[in-house]
Amino acid sequence: MTGQLRERCRRLLQDGAVQVVIGYGVSTSDGMPHPIFVRRPDDVDKLIWNEQCMANLTTYLTRDAVKALGKPAIVVKGCDARALVVLEQECQIDRSAMHVIGMACAGVGSPRAPKCASCDVHVPAAADEVIGEAPAQTGPADPPYAELEEFLQKSPAERFAYWREEAARCIRCYACREVCPTCYCPRCIVDKNRPACLDTSATVKANFAWHVTRAFHQAGRCTGCGECTRVCPVGINMRLLNQSLARAADEHFGYRAGTNRETPPIIGAYGLEDKESFIR
Amino acid sequence: MGRIGVFICWCGENIARAFDMDELTEAVAEIPGVRCAIHYKYMCSEPGQALIREKIRSEKLEAVVVASCSPHMHLKTFRAAAAAAGLNPYLVEMANIREQCSWVHEPYEDETVAKAVSIIRMTVHKVLRNRALEPIRVPLTKRALVVGGGVAGIQASLDLADSGYEVVLVEREPSIGGKMAGLSETFPTLDCSQCILTPRMVEVGQHPNIRLYTYSEVESVEGFVGNFNITIRQKARYVDIEKCTGCLECWNRCPSREAPSEFDYGLTKRKAIYVPFPQAVPARPIIDLNSCAKFLRNECGTCLKVCQANAINFDDQDMLVTEQVGAIVVATGYRMYDIGREQENAKYAGYGEYGYGQYRDVIDSLQFERLLSASGPTGGEVKRPSDGAVPKKVVFIACVGSRDNAKGIPYCSKICCMYTAKHTMLYKHKVHDGQAHVFYMDIRAGGKGYEEFVRRAIEKDGARYHRGRVSKITEENGKLIVRGADTLAGAPVTIEADLVVLAAAMRPATGVLELAQKIKLGYDEFGFLSESHPKLRPVETNTAGVYICGACHAPKDIPEAVAQASAAAGKVQVLFSKGELTREPEVASVNEQTCAACFACVRTCPYLAIDKAEIRDRQGNLRKMTARVNPSLCMGCGTCVAVCPSKSVDLEGFSEEQIYEMVNGLI
Repeated sequence: MTGQLRERCRRLLQDGAVQVVIGYGVSTSDGMPHPIFVRRPDDVDKLIWNEQCMANLTTYLTRDAVKALGKPAIVVKGCDARALVVLEQECQIDRSAMHVIGMACAGVGSPRAPKCASCDVHVPAAADEVIGEAPAQTGPADPPYAELEEFLQKSPAERFAYWREEAARCIRCYACREVCPTCYCPRCIVDKNRPACLDTSATVKANFAWHVTRAFHQAGRCTGCGECTRVCPVGINMRLLNQSLARAADEHFGYRAGTNRETPPIIGAYGLEDKESFIR
Repeated sequence: MGRIGVFICWCGENIARAFDMDELTEAVAEIPGVRCAIHYKYMCSEPGQALIREKIRSEKLEAVVVASCSPHMHLKTFRAAAAAAGLNPYLVEMANIREQCSWVHEPYEDETVAKAVSIIRMTVHKVLRNRALEPIRVPLTKRALVVGGGVAGIQASLDLADSGYEVVLVEREPSIGGKMAGLSETFPTLDCSQCILTPRMVEVGQHPNIRLYTYSEVESVEGFVGNFNITIRQKARYVDIEKCTGCLECWNRCPSREAPSEFDYGLTKRKAIYVPFPQAVPARPIIDLNSCAKFLRNECGTCLKVCQANAINFDDQDMLVTEQVGAIVVATGYRMYDIGREQENAKYAGYGEYGYGQYRDVIDSLQFERLLSASGPTGGEVKRPSDGAVPKKVVFIACVGSRDNAKGIPYCSKICCMYTAKHTMLYKHKVHDGQAHVFYMDIRAGGKGYEEFVRRAIEKDGARYHRGRVSKITEENGKLIVRGADTLAGAPVTIEADLVVLAAAMRPATGVLELAQKIKLGYDEFGFLSESHPKLRPVETNTAGVYICGACHAPKDIPEAVAQASAAAGKVQVLFSKGELTREPEVASVNEQTCAACFACVRTCPYLAIDKAEIRDRQGNLRKMTARVNPSLCMGCGTCVAVCPSKSVDLEGFSEEQIYEMVNGLI
């Protein structure tokens, strides 16, 4: 698949169809796949594809520095592609001004990333082209919120203690925000200072406020790529918070972020048939 | 800013009964930034306002807090008072210690006093961050839209047109006139309904200032007070009313006579091409597709052949027209409660036990009006529908639906007592040997000459009133057996009647909710439109520039509907008396530098007041997209502020800095 990918990208760059390919290359420091930006046809051999290609590259599409490089081709897995839908719904990208190369994927990471257990998008939807075949022997996917359901077995006191512990470890590096494709605001609310809405110190209370606010801003928007959790230097499992809101959107509005570009985003769409039973 | 005056109002006893006003004022005077704190019995009264003006000048106040009632009540009053003393009115805030404190907490309790001080302290903190604002000026289109051409809509239209303003009158039926056009004689003076209404209808039809759209509906409403953009759907009539001369040859010659007449409430049949009633305005026919042989079977076409004016157009299509107006009067009227067992909403359980729709001689009161009317199907003779016999015993049942929680309508329909008395009277005048019986719950006859009218029906025209309900109506040998109770006599009553008339409850007209949603009007659980204030703003709504009158607001009789219509017209005239409109400047604005252009605000704004805009550099290159608020559309609801992920929208007068400062004041 790597060979196929390189050939396609060489063609795209040579033809001038795109000016940059956002893909995966080998890091010189640890030999693991890292994001690279290929601008010359001669450099396409730096592109790779393997089971360690974890990063969700769509987060780069909204960066000014990347936009300045010209029309991009972007390499996405099925899970990453859902972020494209959200970004398009929220007017952050012009889908027609980019080339999306979807990679068929049986799962990434070793051990497998938790999100792969419930994956139902082994072949990216709505890509301009797909490289590879749908994996042959993928077992039945886990129910989508299995990890959350298991966590909810604990008592509220146990869960609170858990999050208190996690909040105490957060160092407020904002890696979770920086890596998130849907955290594209030029100025995050946490950086607002007139007035300052959120305490920026790395204390338990302030960290609670940050993580709860971050999760709420993801309600109906998070596509579950799990990058926030993967990049967290202290290992906070933010996926649990994200899933909790994703499940609420699913249960109450039958809405799963990034699965259908025609459905209006739930934040901002209003219907008379909307349920109110959960408002207490 | 450190020169804030706090003015604490007793509101008579309303606030003063909960506090020691001297102590409260002393506590408030301690709040940092407060220059002076004063209490007075009625701060909204002229001496109270004079106190505020005097202190603004003598203490050189930079901001004012009035601790009293809800800002809904008197914010404008106090802002005007401050403006009169030279202070920018938007530097005045109110602390609501009445509704939110003295009314709802135990008087003199420590917590009650502490809460009042906290509310005031919070407001003092807020006003520290207030900015001087100037009103927004917007142009004003001095034309009005009136929705509904019943008696209320007619009155409002004529009042406005006579005072020199153009009126666009939209009526969804083929003729104006509404329910009143079908009534016989009207209480309490028994003047003929058509005799008093039809001249007014003709006046509407001929008035140079009235543009009449019949068989039309309001499709959409955009814009805001002074500048509404209305799209009207003119439904296909299949007759060109410009070409048509009204000779009505088509009506005479149409061979079809199948469809139940809407105007006679199904008591007669009408033709496929028809004028709803002879005095219709416009007196132009309309073709009903559902009964026309040309449409159903492509036969006939008689009307096409006989029309000398070539006015018949079987290819007619709905047309959309737009009108610009500055104000809207809604006068959509009522409909009858559906008496049958089947209801569109299960909440309104029907009256299957009365056999309406099952026995032909059980009719509703609007049908009885047609039987009494000289223009009705019987020419004004009372003949019952089943066999045309003159009924010798008629039972009238009041409160069918009304005041009956089990049927989903707790309210009183207000007019039924009166028209039922009128019915018994008119019946007696026409059938001298007849006997009217009335089953009623209470007789509600408040109004000029009303009680006397009911007494006349009972004492002079011999109507027999039974205070009680009817449990069941059955039919035996051509008689309707009405089984009821007379609770005053304490005995069951059974009457063998020839005709039964049900005084069904009044409900708002169909489609009023859709209209209300288009215009953004409030309505109650029954669908009646909400006024802005039940006593002081009875024809205004909470949407600026929109007024209501007639039975769309609540059950009403003709005099009330007409009075309210004139009131609504008067309010429109007040609006139009100004050269331009000023709007409250408390609107939202976008920080375009930090806006992420996700346009969640554009999607959520209920007033469509936010647009997508481009920011370009001097060379014309697009730098970024941003959301931008149109201040003349923004109503200041704050939805955009709530939904903005980067907090790039702020609401003047309720800015984040103000709210933050209020929270700071509490902790």
